Amino acid sequence: MVPAEWYLILAAAVFCIGVFGLLTRQNALLFLMSVELMLNAANINLAAFSYYWGNVTGQTFGLFVMALAAAEVAVGIGIILVLYRNFSAVDVTDATTMRW
Amino acid sequence: MVVYPDWAALAPALALAVTGLVLLLIDSVDPDDSRPGLLAGTAVVGTLVSLGYAGWFLASGTGQVDGGTGAISLYRDALVVDGMALFFQAVFAVVTALVCIASYDYLKERAYQAEFYSLVMFAATGMAVMATANSLATAFIALELASLPSYALVAFLKHNRGSVEASLKYFLIGALSSAVFAFGISLVYAATGSLLLADVASALSALDGGLTGVAAIGVLMVAGGFAFKTASVPFHFWAPEAYEGAPAPISAFLSSASKAAGFAVLFRVFTTAFPLDAAGVDWMLLFQVLAVVTMTLGNFAAATQETVKRMLAYSSIGHAGYALIGLAAWSGGAPGSVENGAVLGASMAHLLVYGFMNTGAFLFVALAEQWDVGRTFEDYAGLGSRAPMASVAMTVFMFSLAGVPPFGGFFSKLFLFAGAVDAGFWWLAAVGVVNSTLSLYYYSRVVKALWVDDPVGEFELGGTPTGLYVAVVFAAVGTLLLLPGFAPVIETAQSVAAALVP
Amino acid sequence: MAAFDYAPAIVLLPFVSFLVSLGAALYGDDVLPKGGALAGIVATAGSLILSLWVFFTVSAGNVYNQTIYTWTTGAGAAGEEALELTFGLLLDPLSSMMLIIVSLVALLVHVFSLGYMNDEGETGLPRYYAGLGLFSASMLGFVVAHNILMAFMFFELVGLCSFLLIGFWFREPGPPSAAKKAFLVTRFGDYFFLVGVVAIFATFGTGRFAGAESFPVLAEEVLAGEVAVNTFGFAPTTWFTVVGLLVLGGVIGKSAQFPLHTWLPDAMEGPTPVSALIHAATMVAAGVYLVARMYGFYAVSPTALAVIALVGGFTALVAATMGVVKREIKQVLAYSTISQYGYMMLALGAGGYVAATFHLLTHAFFKALLFLGAGSVIIAMHHNENMWDMGGLKDRMPVTYWTFLSGSLALAGIIPFAGFWSKDEVLYEALVHGLGTDGGLGTIFLVAYAFGLLAVFFTGFYTFRMVFLTFHGDARTGQARDPEGVGWNVKGPLAVLGVLAAVTGFVNMTPVADLFDLDIEYLHRWLEGPEGVEFMSALSAHHYLELLESDVTGIHAAELDPLIPGGVSLLLALAGVGLAYALYGRGEPEEYTAKLGGVQDLLYNNYYQDEYQVAIAERVVLPLSRAADKFDQSGVDGVVNGVSSVSLFSGSRVRRVQTGLVSNYAALVTLGLTVLLVAFGIYGGWLL
Repeated sequence: MVPAEWYLILAAAVFCIGVFGLLTRQNALLFLMSVELMLNAANINLAAFSYYWGNVTGQTFGLFVMALAAAEVAVGIGIILVLYRNFSAVDVTDATTMRW
Repeated sequence: MVVYPDWAALAPALALAVTGLVLLLIDSVDPDDSRPGLLAGTAVVGTLVSLGYAGWFLASGTGQVDGGTGAISLYRDALVVDGMALFFQAVFAVVTALVCIASYDYLKERAYQAEFYSLVMFAATGMAVMATANSLATAFIALELASLPSYALVAFLKHNRGSVEASLKYFLIGALSSAVFAFGISLVYAATGSLLLADVASALSALDGGLTGVAAIGVLMVAGGFAFKTASVPFHFWAPEAYEGAPAPISAFLSSASKAAGFAVLFRVFTTAFPLDAAGVDWMLLFQVLAVVTMTLGNFAAATQETVKRMLAYSSIGHAGYALIGLAAWSGGAPGSVENGAVLGASMAHLLVYGFMNTGAFLFVALAEQWDVGRTFEDYAGLGSRAPMASVAMTVFMFSLAGVPPFGGFFSKLFLFAGAVDAGFWWLAAVGVVNSTLSLYYYSRVVKALWVDDPVGEFELGGTPTGLYVAVVFAAVGTLLLLPGFAPVIETAQSVAAALVP
Repeated sequence: MAAFDYAPAIVLLPFVSFLVSLGAALYGDDVLPKGGALAGIVATAGSLILSLWVFFTVSAGNVYNQTIYTWTTGAGAAGEEALELTFGLLLDPLSSMMLIIVSLVALLVHVFSLGYMNDEGETGLPRYYAGLGLFSASMLGFVVAHNILMAFMFFELVGLCSFLLIGFWFREPGPPSAAKKAFLVTRFGDYFFLVGVVAIFATFGTGRFAGAESFPVLAEEVLAGEVAVNTFGFAPTTWFTVVGLLVLGGVIGKSAQFPLHTWLPDAMEGPTPVSALIHAATMVAAGVYLVARMYGFYAVSPTALAVIALVGGFTALVAATMGVVKREIKQVLAYSTISQYGYMMLALGAGGYVAATFHLLTHAFFKALLFLGAGSVIIAMHHNENMWDMGGLKDRMPVTYWTFLSGSLALAGIIPFAGFWSKDEVLYEALVHGLGTDGGLGTIFLVAYAFGLLAVFFTGFYTFRMVFLTFHGDARTGQARDPEGVGWNVKGPLAVLGVLAAVTGFVNMTPVADLFDLDIEYLHRWLEGPEGVEFMSALSAHHYLELLESDVTGIHAAELDPLIPGGVSLLLALAGVGLAYALYGRGEPEEYTAKLGGVQDLLYNNYYQDEYQVAIAERVVLPLSRAADKFDQSGVDGVVNGVSSVSLFSGSRVRRVQTGLVSNYAALVTLGLTVLLVAFGIYGGWLL
């Protein structure tokens, strides 16, 4: 059996990859995908420790996280669409009319 | 005596959800929004029903310890209805009702009105469930239910670049925060094997050494998720833009109700699930740091703004800092002592008062947007003589927000700071007082513009939108009535807060 | 049986036509004659022939329930059976009947498309026929699925095809967003379905529909106390209800029931043959079919039945009332489709398994007919769908008119057309079960029945409003005066369906059977299934009735003559038709709905409250504001400026953090979190 720590390390690694993508990408869609990675890092933990603790709480919650991730993407795509209509780009750094 | 089933205790939340569905139904029958009055009326009635239930339950003792049934646990402890939940549900219902009344005029001639109201209702449902969440899972889901409609609502003016930009920033930071939140929950689960708050607490107390770090990182990340919802540093960056760009009623909704919802779930999770001595994080210190940084940053940035709406946005961040004192000074007294309930209750009472005065202030901005007078302080010059009633209301809001004596905001801040001093955190109270003084400067700039300055040019106000007027005046009356009526509010808040603390 | 050996080909033939069209689409537009239509016609004709063969084999008393392919087998814990995920066929009376409906309508729609798409000079035809082929294959695969996971997979595939075909004209503004909406709304329901599928596997360890080890049978045995399954701490009845309602989420999305019905009217942005095939006759039926397929599971949960009946009845009424005011002919049909599927749900919920299946059968034919008829009208009108621009088409397109009239009479439920018999049976079942069942369940059935009965009137009204506006009176535009002609490939399918819409009802004339004491309820007998086959006993209509009348569910039928309720619904339908005739059928029709709106708008314009508010503001508030003016000049300015002048400099620095770049915000959020983590980690002693 794989020790539980490895799952934690894997999840942390996936999470960090997500954060890295978030910080380096300017495309709104890639930004969203990075967030998905971070959410899936949480799912890895949930699934792994669901097994470790022998209850299904984690897995069930993982399903909810997936559903919410999908909902979030749906809303996000909508926002990106109107972003494109107003700024003619999906670059998140283009929208800077408000600051300070 | 009629015996109600336990789930009936969720009536305040259910009323909001049902109203949202009814609005969708109305929209199905009449997709052209040709009955704006019916839509707004339905929404308002729904929120008032919710408010009625919450008020009735609070008065009759449902879910409360003193003379009531005790906290009602539902669905295997996933939700709990107690005094605090009902108190916050009342706050959300009041704010939502005001926002819906005001939206009737704000949305005139705009498409997708039914969608607007139903999104507001669903977001409010999410907030009402947040207040009852007794498990990290329900907390997360309710938080998302409150957030997702909010993103769409901020972008409601979809041909307005500001609205879209606001929504984008809100959404992106929100998505990042929810990812952090979810990961935090997964770490807490990894360490404890449960998501129920009570079970998490007992598992943390019996934690073996190896997992302390995991649990602690989880706790910090969970705090991050709530910091986003309450617009606290360092997750506050979305707030100025989102509040500035969003339609003004939505700014009111987000900065009052949504923020209060964040605090509701923050209070419950941290006081019941993460025991101070076992969580691996001294979260009282954490919230002390966050409270000081948040209120200072919010107030200092607000002081130098040019536009009123953005000033209110930053001031909203500042108020999140004040409300955080409720947790930051939480267990300065002995465990289970009355002081704990005192400071937490004061924080809750402040959120209630804030619900009235901040909503009112943003709705005044909505009124100004409706009149198209401009966005800066200068543009507001001379409004006092043209729209005296609304301007008096705005003056009440501004002074109340600043915490000047004869208004509701004064009392709530007084109890809050007094509670902090009693708990031994006099320096927190001192920082708060200094910040309040600074805030008086920028709030009074609005008052000065309204009554003193001469208008730059000639302009005509386009009519008097009834709904907006009603909402603004009602909020002002609420802020004023909370002065004589503050005693029952603070008593209720402190007793339900004391019941929350083990 | 030889027919069963060839049965997989029913699904594979349209899939091959999909591959052929896909190849053509990738290679270029004009490699295939007719843009790939012929491959599709041949494939669906083949499927139809095989389906008929299967049908006759089943009627000879043979049924089939076999696994064809096992794609994964889990490692079972000690003493438990391993979990198997499989593909397989279940060919019984229900599925063989559905196979014929799907393959026949698919064939006719392929032929019709020659007239609607090819003759109109559309481009991208291989893509269109590839979509139709994949759809036909997935729908047929869904019908024959022998376990719920396989059903779910094909359920998702038909959803995908629906998305692709609604958005066929993707360069126009409407279709892509309609396609997206249809996809997202149905996906929302499907998410619950997915959770339900997982729950079924977790509870029973199998997803089979039929056989001794199938989940409906297991559920029955659990409730009888014979076996035990993991119900996750709930009482078995509660848990089965929860699971049933989760699956129902998918059903409500796919069959466009309230509140997930919103996607269907938008889906009319797609080509009309697609609307006929997918959004009227087959895919939308998938939800109802799924409930019928696992009816044994629902039959033991009174709560789930009540929900189904109530949702169905409510949808039937609400959608029918919405159909009354629409201007576009396809919009009327879309709402009518929602409404008719509401009837089927009502029947299923109220214990009328046969009635629901019957209405599914008749509706598939007459609604496909109406959509194709509308398509014919739309061709004639050069793609103008507004009924107010039509009128008087009766004489200029007689074939379309007479077939459309046959479909309309069936939809409105006029004797002796197909819709009368099936709708009457639906309402009769709801009524007798409502009267015969005790307590709240019976009341709910009666409420749902009332909804359904009221909807009959609206159905008659909107149907004939549509007929009168489109075909009767004088032509209201130049196009209507000189419509474009349609070819045999349009008239042929219309004629076939027109006959079917008139006669299908004769397979199950319950009132006539009762009146003359004849044994002519063929569909009833058909759904009883053959005797002597072991697994069929749990799938027969007879068995479902036993389940409903068991102590667990407690639904009973009252004794009632079918003639009186049948007469009432017929009278209501005729009243609706009559009203439509009175309003729209004579001379020049007027837009009554516009008048209605004007009266109501007037009511909302009462604004006398404004005046007195202004009065209060001027007399009371103005003096107060003058006082405040003085206070400000003497006090506020000086004090405040003194306190805060130092702070302003730092304030102007602090606000620079808010750069306006959301990427910077993300970085600062991350940085802030990291600083907190490191600081508290060192302070708390668990880091370093």
